[in-house]
Amino acid sequence: MRAGRPSVGLLPWGICFAVFGLFPLLYALLLSFQDMNPLRPDASHFVGLANYAHALGSPSFWHALRTTVVFVVGTLPVTLVLAYGVAALLGRIRRAQSFFRAAIFFPATLSMVVVSLVFKSLYAEDGLMNGWLAASDLARVHWLQDPRLALPSIMAMDIWASVGYYAILLLAGRKTLPVEQLEAARLEGLTAWQVERRIVLPHLQPVILFVVLLNTIRSFQVFIEVFVLTRGGPLESTLTLVYHLYERAFYHFEMGYACAIAYLLLALVGVVLLIQRRVLRSAEVAA
Amino acid sequence: MRAARLWPYAALSAVALLSLAPLLYMARVSLGQGSDLPISPADWLGRPFTLEHYRSLWSGGPMGRFALNSAIVSCAALPLQLLLASAAGHALARSRFIGKRATLALATAFLILPRQVTLVPLYLIMAKLGLLDTYPALILPHLADPFGVLFMSHYYQTMSAELEDAARTDGLPARTIFWRIVLPLSGPGLAVVGVNGFLTTWNSFLHPLVLTTSESMRTLPVGLALFAQSEYAVDWGALLAGSTVATLPVLVAFAIFQRQIVEGVLQGSGR
Repeated sequence: MRAGRPSVGLLPWGICFAVFGLFPLLYALLLSFQDMNPLRPDASHFVGLANYAHALGSPSFWHALRTTVVFVVGTLPVTLVLAYGVAALLGRIRRAQSFFRAAIFFPATLSMVVVSLVFKSLYAEDGLMNGWLAASDLARVHWLQDPRLALPSIMAMDIWASVGYYAILLLAGRKTLPVEQLEAARLEGLTAWQVERRIVLPHLQPVILFVVLLNTIRSFQVFIEVFVLTRGGPLESTLTLVYHLYERAFYHFEMGYACAIAYLLLALVGVVLLIQRRVLRSAEVAA
Repeated sequence: MRAARLWPYAALSAVALLSLAPLLYMARVSLGQGSDLPISPADWLGRPFTLEHYRSLWSGGPMGRFALNSAIVSCAALPLQLLLASAAGHALARSRFIGKRATLALATAFLILPRQVTLVPLYLIMAKLGLLDTYPALILPHLADPFGVLFMSHYYQTMSAELEDAARTDGLPARTIFWRIVLPLSGPGLAVVGVNGFLTTWNSFLHPLVLTTSESMRTLPVGLALFAQSEYAVDWGALLAGSTVATLPVLVAFAIFQRQIVEGVLQGSGR
């Protein structure tokens, strides 16, 4: 084969990717240096780094950033540990594995809107959660109306919705475990716990890294949950970065500012991924 | 069996119950009467079953329209996605050209990119093209998705090129080879791309939320989310009936293509 022109088959997708993928990505960068209101498109003008400066000096931005970081840091380890445990259990059983796998994985394929609506009804003032509390003679809890509880309530829901997803990834990793090495270790009298720590865990290191990276990317984008359950409230206690971006762009029509937030999010996720990769890689070498 | 062998089953049963219970609860409330929520499991089971909420969804509310819009968008996007993914994937796998590595690198980078970055520009582009609030605005962004192309490129790389080479030696044009030989052999790969693409399109929320303005153009997830914020917010029966309708196609896809969905997840189709 000679190096030459690509076959025409690449064109249809190539055009779509260029127009609705790459171009918007670059356009967003350009917009982030502009003051842009779609209601007055002619008045848009170049403002240099003003949008970024505005974001970094804005209490709302920092508040949204902090909320998002709390969300990520609070959900990621719990989801990871639970998913790891579920995958380990799934790996141990012989019978009905496909049934349990399906039952645990299915919620991960649902629309986040559906998940959020179901939990909104569970968390409602007269919902099942409070029904249970009342049945045990406990006081009702304002799951989504209490500023201290709203974010944790959303986080709990998110953990419920994503454990199955990551358990499936970790289970796939366990399918490639070195069976003979495990057998040998058991014959040497190592306990299940020791086998898990000394052989399984190091072997799963790359999959765990993948799970952590994927979960980080997804969690930093948390939006639907907030949109359906709390709309950023009460008292902005669930105002996340992407919700902030959405409000700025489509309620206040500050398109340039919203794009600056988007690029700050992009940079933040990029930096976090690099750090995680480095830390988890060095943990791998040490193990 | 000894207890040591049984406990993983007991633990997994609890996990499975925990992960399915909210969905059974959703279906149960949707099949109940009135707008009150059940407050205890006993209350759940005791109530009569009716299709009241589904009937009112279909006849009175806009939910039928939302479901239709979701179906139109998903059904239109799916064959286009498959065709684009196989054509471009094949081109990337079989031909060498300047910029191929760059294309692959960009497509891969796009897989992990937070999609919100392109939200505002896409809105402005669609406004400029006069496509806001139309079906093309809801379909076109999905056609740019690189997952299918990367997956099919990898699929064709692991597929022998012998048949295609023989056909080329016989003088068949490239187009005939693609339609008659490559596509019929692409089934297993396209099943993975198709089911994951369908789930992404069907569940898609942020872009349809922003790219539609009139109620009659809303998709099911957007319609449900906005319905939940309206004055009907207390009508849980109707809301959860709509949620159940949004879940059924996912359930069917899951029942048939679970293996392919998992395969897609493992290859990074994650939304």
